[in-house]
Amino acid sequence: MLMRFGDVNRTFAAMDELRRRMDRLFDEYEPRGGASPRSTFFFEPFEAGLSSRTVATWPRLSVYDKGEALVIAADVPGMKESDIKLEIDQDVLTLSGERKADIPEGYALHKRERAPVKFSRSVSLPCKVDTEKASAVLKDGVLTLTLAKSPEAQPRKISVKSAS
Amino acid sequence: MNAQISRDERDHQTEAPETRRGVAPAVDIFENKTELLIVADLPGVGPGDIAVRLDKNELTIAGKRASAPEGNALAVEGRPGDFSRTFLVPQGIVADGITAEVAQGVLKVRLPKVSSQKPRQIAVKAS
Repeated sequence: MLMRFGDVNRTFAAMDELRRRMDRLFDEYEPRGGASPRSTFFFEPFEAGLSSRTVATWPRLSVYDKGEALVIAADVPGMKESDIKLEIDQDVLTLSGERKADIPEGYALHKRERAPVKFSRSVSLPCKVDTEKASAVLKDGVLTLTLAKSPEAQPRKISVKSAS
Repeated sequence: MNAQISRDERDHQTEAPETRRGVAPAVDIFENKTELLIVADLPGVGPGDIAVRLDKNELTIAGKRASAPEGNALAVEGRPGDFSRTFLVPQGIVADGITAEVAQGVLKVRLPKVSSQKPRQIAVKAS
């Protein structure tokens, strides 16, 4: 039975792996993360060299501007809070850590795509943040950082008074 | 696993990125004497948003990602899309015994093997 599983599965494994790699390949060349329509899809890889391109490395990061705060999301499936180190130095955020191999005892290996990884990524933030008001939440394998902007970087509302 | 996608379907998918076929998640597949174990990375997918389906001998894992945080996206890496991947299940798996659990965005699907693969003696009764 063990042999049969291997034989049948191997037939599809190559195609499956190819498909996965293709998916990842597009991710790496699409600066907007794949949500763009097809017409721009073909041109963006060439334009991307001119502007700053986000390169998909591990973990994947996304940065959002929420007005009063910056929200940074990182895909870190299977990691614990203690495995991740976060540092903010001025306006540079550094995320580092290691996802260790989690091969269960006594199992034979058929396929390994979730390689253990050691990482360190730095992001320069677009504005100053109040490090005292930073919070990080780890949920479902996604680390979400909320960094409140420092007072001078906060969007300001200017009230309009009538002159009468 | 490698379903053919018709041109119509593909056109539809590019128009509506939210509904298109998901990205294949990275998986590890392990096996021991009693079971097969599939481990898949599904970051951003809550326990309620994972569907594990067994159709004949095809096991499909599908996960719906939680929506992105609010606000103006400054940089987005990877696809915000959903996950989907299908495996062929070999013979000798107890279909009713398949279990799945998720923790911190890592899904584990256990496929128990039929316990006795040994030849069995069948008693013959006199009628």
